[in-house]
Amino acid sequence: MVNGYSVSSLAEALEIRSSHSVVPYAGGTDLMVENRKGVEYLFLGKIPELRNITEDDEYIRIGAAVTFTQALEDKKVPDLMKEALKRIAAPAIRNAGTFGGNLGNGSAKADSVLIEFVSDAKLRLASRDKERIVDVDKFYLGRKKLDLGEDELILEVLLPKTGLDRYSYEKVGGRNALAISRVSFAGIFDEKDGRITKLAAAFGAVADTVLRYKDLEETMLGKTIEEARELKEKYLESYAERMVLTQGRVSAEYRKNVCMNLLGSFLAKFGI
Amino acid sequence: MSDINFRLNGREVSYSGSAADRLLDVLRNTYLCTSVKCGCKEGECGACSVLIDGVLFNSCCVAMGAIEGAEVVTMEGFRETRRFEVLDRAFGELSAVQCGFCIPGMVLAAEALLSQNPQPTEEEIREGLSGNLCRCTGYNAIVNAVGLAAKEGKGLW
Ligand SMILES: Cc1cc2nc3c(=O)[nH]c(=O)nc-3n(C[C@H](O)[C@H](O)[C@H](O)COP(=O)(O)OP(=O)(O)OC[C@H]3O[C@@H](n4cnc5c(N)ncnc54)[C@H](O)[C@@H]3O)c2cc1C
Ligand code: FES
Ligand code: FES
Repeated sequence: MVNGYSVSSLAEALEIRSSHSVVPYAGGTDLMVENRKGVEYLFLGKIPELRNITEDDEYIRIGAAVTFTQALEDKKVPDLMKEALKRIAAPAIRNAGTFGGNLGNGSAKADSVLIEFVSDAKLRLASRDKERIVDVDKFYLGRKKLDLGEDELILEVLLPKTGLDRYSYEKVGGRNALAISRVSFAGIFDEKDGRITKLAAAFGAVADTVLRYKDLEETMLGKTIEEARELKEKYLESYAERMVLTQGRVSAEYRKNVCMNLLGSFLAKFGI
Repeated sequence: MSDINFRLNGREVSYSGSAADRLLDVLRNTYLCTSVKCGCKEGECGACSVLIDGVLFNSCCVAMGAIEGAEVVTMEGFRETRRFEVLDRAFGELSAVQCGFCIPGMVLAAEALLSQNPQPTEEEIREGLSGNLCRCTGYNAIVNAVGLAAKEGKGLW
């Protein structure tokens, strides 16, 4: 075809990716809106290796070209992820939009990426000659900047299989006219023998990248709920100090308040 | 360089233009399927809805290279079906059409919904049509029409 490559295997795709200057195309929902001129697309939609959802002992493995609709219909995909997927746009966008495309855009507004951040997901990437696995938070280098080589493709998202059951998820504001005021939040809590073993919190759409502060989370680990409750006020203060939000059309201060409220309710949901 | 081959409303066609061209533009300009409307080119309005292998897509967000080998259905093809007749009658009966601009997209979104879920609740209908904007009707008549079609067309979906 003219100005594009349609491939049916991953090997073929990686070969073209390493030898030509192409733009990977999955569902097209971001690319076609961007409408870049003079590019050649590498169409990933027909590569079976990228369209599967599988599992191993540790991970649910979601292929980069799996659509949101497909994931919503799959029993293996955890509820927390589905919670976010359900609220992405409308059916036609969920039928086209993919996990790889959501990541590939490098946007802090990407809803599936927020869940990947909060659940410590990893990504499997490959070029023709090499394959590697990176933590999702290392993959995002900043606004629209990804740790992705010109010859690489995203192959899979590796989502931990366990520990995602007790969560909060909130998306404030729509995508259309309200997009400017949007904040999204995901939190995961876990405890063992009355002590906190996980208290992860991630904020989307408020800065150049998804925000998560693991060092702050760690200060709560090993505490009882009682102890955590006593620390709550100081804990929220440290978040407030750390969070630097980009100035949008809606004031950063307002959105920060929303973030702090969402964090506060997440803690309260689990008795903290 | 080979052409892009696909089926359009049951007919084999091949497109010799660029793989990066927008399906919406090609449907309207090359194949004269003018039921497919352009309201935004941003995936927001649903006026450009088509079915690709039976699944609802915004044709403004699809590049031609992505439909190689696929079956594309627009209103020009769908209007030949019994399901269309039922939807057509229901939309008419409940006065669910005003200017008509959104309607081809609405009807295809309804078809996509009903083929997944033949007896949807009102809430499910609203969700199924949530990507299709209408500036005229206020939606209620359209939602009711889809509900009526589901009832009248029992067994068709
Ligand atoms: C109306 C509308 C509403 C939307 N609402 C939401 C929303 O609520 N939440 C949300 O998160 N997003 C939303 N989006 C954005 C978009 O749908 C998502 O980001 C989607 O996941 C993009 O996936 P895609 O397959 O369509 O990406 P594409 O447009 O195909 O690609 C996007 C980017 O990723 C790159 N890419 C794709 N696959 C790979 C790969 N395997 N390896 C390397 N790079 C790759 C592409 O080169 C491109 O740069 C919306 C978009 C529209 C048009
Ligand atoms: S023109 Fe495609 S969604 Fe509006
Ligand atoms: S009838 Fe006019 S836009 Fe829907």
